[in-house]
Amino acid sequence: MVQNHHRGCHHQDHQEIVRENKEKRPKFFINDHVDILIEILKRLDCRSLCVAASVCRLWCTIARNDSLWENLCFRHVSPPPSSLRSVVLALGGYKRLYMGCVRPVQSRLGRVRRASWARDEVQLSLSLFCVDYYERLGGGSSSNGRLVGESSPSSLMFLCKPVNV
Amino acid sequence: MSLHDSASSAAGSSSGSSSSLSSSKPPPSSLQQDIVRHLAGAGYTIRSSDLPQVAQRLERLETAMGSSPADFFQLASDAILYNPSDLASWVDSLLSEFTQLPTCCFEFILAPVDNAWTTAELHEPRVQQNITYEQQSLDRQLTVVTAMEEDSDIRLVHKLMACAECVQRGDFSSATSLIDDMQGLLARVNTVCGIRKVAGHFIDALSRRIFLGIGGGSVDGCGSAFENEILYHHFYEACPYLKFAHFTANQAILEAFDGHDCVHVVDVNLMHGLQWPALIQALALRPGGPPLLRLTGIGSPSPDGRDSLREIGSRLAVLARSVNVRFAFRGVAASRLEDVKPWMLQVNPKEAVAVNSIMQLHCLLISDPTLNSPIETVLNWIRDLNPKILTVVEQEANHNQLDFLDRFTEALYYYSRMFDSLEACRVQPEKALAEIYIQKEIRNVVSCEGSARVERHEPLAKWRRRLSGAGFMSLPLGSNAFKQASMLLTLFSAEGYSVQENDGCLSLGWHSRPLIAASAWQAMPEPGSCVSCLE
Repeated sequence: MVQNHHRGCHHQDHQEIVRENKEKRPKFFINDHVDILIEILKRLDCRSLCVAASVCRLWCTIARNDSLWENLCFRHVSPPPSSLRSVVLALGGYKRLYMGCVRPVQSRLGRVRRASWARDEVQLSLSLFCVDYYERLGGGSSSNGRLVGESSPSSLMFLCKPVNV
Repeated sequence: MSLHDSASSAAGSSSGSSSSLSSSKPPPSSLQQDIVRHLAGAGYTIRSSDLPQVAQRLERLETAMGSSPADFFQLASDAILYNPSDLASWVDSLLSEFTQLPTCCFEFILAPVDNAWTTAELHEPRVQQNITYEQQSLDRQLTVVTAMEEDSDIRLVHKLMACAECVQRGDFSSATSLIDDMQGLLARVNTVCGIRKVAGHFIDALSRRIFLGIGGGSVDGCGSAFENEILYHHFYEACPYLKFAHFTANQAILEAFDGHDCVHVVDVNLMHGLQWPALIQALALRPGGPPLLRLTGIGSPSPDGRDSLREIGSRLAVLARSVNVRFAFRGVAASRLEDVKPWMLQVNPKEAVAVNSIMQLHCLLISDPTLNSPIETVLNWIRDLNPKILTVVEQEANHNQLDFLDRFTEALYYYSRMFDSLEACRVQPEKALAEIYIQKEIRNVVSCEGSARVERHEPLAKWRRRLSGAGFMSLPLGSNAFKQASMLLTLFSAEGYSVQENDGCLSLGWHSRPLIAASAWQAMPEPGSCVSCLE
């Protein structure tokens, strides 16, 4: 009994020592440092960003922020004109632009891409994105000749289908 | 070799299977025993001594089925069920079925092979002796199988030509019998691919011409404007032709508008206005800021009182407002393009005008000596607007010849190429509706005449002559347009599309045969103004 008590005392001391050491080291949770988190997420590619969005609510909110996707769209391109942002936001935002147009365009054209084409790819994506927005506008009103029940715009469908190589 | 699952269960036949009881034959090898055991497990009884014979007969059966697919379908539909669990007798009975079929199915097979087949059957096959001989004939038969499919395609095309020729001569009775022949031929072969799908549409158009007469197509040919819009929209989705047309024209218009602050676009056929969002967006982003854009859309009046032009216009206005482009829309409803007068368009003399025509001008090529030529009327009022650019996109085909047979031949090859290119589209129902859209064109080209025939396509060379004669000069399309068109094509999943540059005009084709051509023109300066420059 006496021996056990001794051992218990030692164990308690040990625990206190460990706790003290822990308190001396600063605890680092990435979620406390949102600016660092944003810097890291800014550099991710599309797939990793989508995976990051499913980690926790904070990460999800950050990953959905349009400026991260803007970064993704223009990563390999010289900085776009300042008027571009208002146009893209009006047409549906960078995330939609990237997922709907830029990504399929870049992956399809990747086989034949030359360095000078990157800007043209973005231009083409923008044009297609604009047509898509226009069709989405029309989807709301039923009196413009679309078949009943066909509410989703389909002019970008050809981008979604797998490439027949 | 496809073995049909037999309804008779494995249990019943597995009992008597693996034992080879005839003692007079040499003992079966272990491989043969294995095969017999596996077949028994699948439900087929066979003696291992019979294995080589049955294998060889199955090969013959396969080639027999392959070389006469039409009769095979008859066989399948006769529905005499053989019990396949006894493999040897099943194969023998099927083979005897095939040899009893009338010899017309062998008419495509080359003569030497024919002899080989019949001699092999007449003399009861002694397997060991005939093996090498039949192996050679098998090889020849296998090559004949593919030749026969192509052969039926060629026969179909020849029959189509012969039928068109009869129609041109006025010999409707032989034309009708040829049509029956062809429909029989089509019913027996696979109509999913190749020229057969198109052939079906051409046969339909020819029979309309014969039975409904040359004006008969017009009543049905219009459809309602609503239907036409839907078909047009699906044609836009399913293949790149219209997208190429829109993007190329937009690029040319954008370059022509460079430096102008007031611009006016006249669209000769507005449809859904799918071309204009991209132009509005490009103008919004051009360096120096967007101009004031006015768009005048010409379209046919809608029968049910809907002001569809205004609806399209307001949608475009919403889009323009979102991207901060000053925009004004005006709709001109006219059932015929030659009825439009320049004053209806309200063009401001200070603004830069662009006139855009996507596959519309060919409808005006009716050559009726009693009327003023509609194409000249329209080209004159376009000229009077003094446009900075006139973009013309037309089908690259010669479907306006006087001779019916020439027109028919040209149309057959043109539309079969177009259907080939459509095969790559994976998006349904867009593909089916796009095919109906093309089918309407085919019907119009083949079965209508006079004012009912509106699809009077002419090749680029003819348009060049016509437009030069009307006071326009060619404006080269530039490398940006070419680059954009090539990129657009790469996005489409088919690998056969190609863009070609032809003396300043771009054409999109399938396997380097052009199907649609885009060109840009500007009004030639008046001779009077040149004189004033000299002074």
